[in-house]
Amino acid sequence: MNEDLNQTQREQLSALADGELAADDIAQALAFADSDEGRQTWQLYQLVGDVLRSPELAHHAQHDVLSGVRAQIAKEPRPQLQTVPLVPIAAARGPDRAANSSVFRWKMAAGMASVAAVAALGWSSLLTDGAAFSAGVQLVQGGAPQQSVPTEVVAMQAGDGAPVMLRDPRLDELLAAHRQYSSVAALQMPANFLRNANFSQASARR
Amino acid sequence: MTPRIRTVMRDTRPAPNDSMNPSVTPPSTSDSDLQLVERTNAGDQRAFELLVIKYQRRIERLIARMVRDTDQVQDIAQETFIRAYRALHQFRGEAQFYTWLYRIAVNTAKKALLDMKRNPVVSESALRSQSDEDETSHLGQELTTDETPETVLAAQEIAQAVNAAMQALPEELRQAVTLREIEGLSYEEISAAMGCPIGTVRSRIFRAREAISARVKPMLENQTGKRW
Repeated sequence: MNEDLNQTQREQLSALADGELAADDIAQALAFADSDEGRQTWQLYQLVGDVLRSPELAHHAQHDVLSGVRAQIAKEPRPQLQTVPLVPIAAARGPDRAANSSVFRWKMAAGMASVAAVAALGWSSLLTDGAAFSAGVQLVQGGAPQQSVPTEVVAMQAGDGAPVMLRDPRLDELLAAHRQYSSVAALQMPANFLRNANFSQASARR
Repeated sequence: MTPRIRTVMRDTRPAPNDSMNPSVTPPSTSDSDLQLVERTNAGDQRAFELLVIKYQRRIERLIARMVRDTDQVQDIAQETFIRAYRALHQFRGEAQFYTWLYRIAVNTAKKALLDMKRNPVVSESALRSQSDEDETSHLGQELTTDETPETVLAAQEIAQAVNAAMQALPEELRQAVTLREIEGLSYEEISAAMGCPIGTVRSRIFRAREAISARVKPMLENQTGKRW
């Protein structure tokens, strides 16, 4: 009976050495490994494996490192992973609160602020544009001097398919009045030594 | 009838004199360590002790090659494992455990060497190894300072015993333990290769280890002078 148990424990240790032991059996294997027989069995299995991989490691450990490590570790604080009670996630979070509720609140606040900023800008620009528009209308209606010359724009068509040249009679009047202050070129009249080219000649050649 | 291996496996055996190099560790070794690492992180110190036993010889040999003071080897090895224990929660399993441990050992040994330079209190063994190196430098190139002709002979005897035990194994046991220990295959892969259930693979590997251990055990008792 004891022999069978011992055999089972050693086989579990062999499987643990290969990382193939079932999770449920690990505690039992570690308990066996904590005994002298278990530790020596583990050492032998590791020695056999090392020698098979490299004859260079075919020597017994020459120092008692384990005792020193064990004594030092006993002074260290142990990992507390298992001592912390696991709280169900839903209970810890609260009944009606979503996981991203705080983020959602911030998003709502940011959205409201954006809408308010856009509305304020739009309203102020609307007010500004309206005032400028009305002022512009008043300026046109009240400030523009009444001209004695006709204000209609004269359109002249040079010929078939030729572009339309638009001339404002007021511009002609202004240029005629200030002829003495400007050059001929400024009156858009070609100089005498330049050949005059216009659309009517081009169309006549055609 | 002896089962035949169906596939030709890759040769992952380490080159001679390269056993400390973490890159030559069999691929699935990391998996076997992960169970123990997780268990240690869960608060079971016994699991970490198994890792210490497993890697002590390799780490000691690595340190002995860097530090020529044999008195320092044990201390640096111990410091290496303590540092590893403290930092074990940072080990994510992305690399093999031995690769991670190897880096800690190298850094610990380098720090010890720097400390020795700053505080040059030379121990007797360091002086002894220094004089040995001067007088018989050819020996110093072949052996680390903690190796003596006796320990080398003892290691050769163990290696021969293991090889003899392997040769004496039934074919299916030898194949199973070879695929596991040398090729680094998992039980599932060995099961597929040998065409037998995983439980049978586990049993064959165990029986092979037991048979080899039985040959080595009396030898260790003679060498260490204590009962195994």
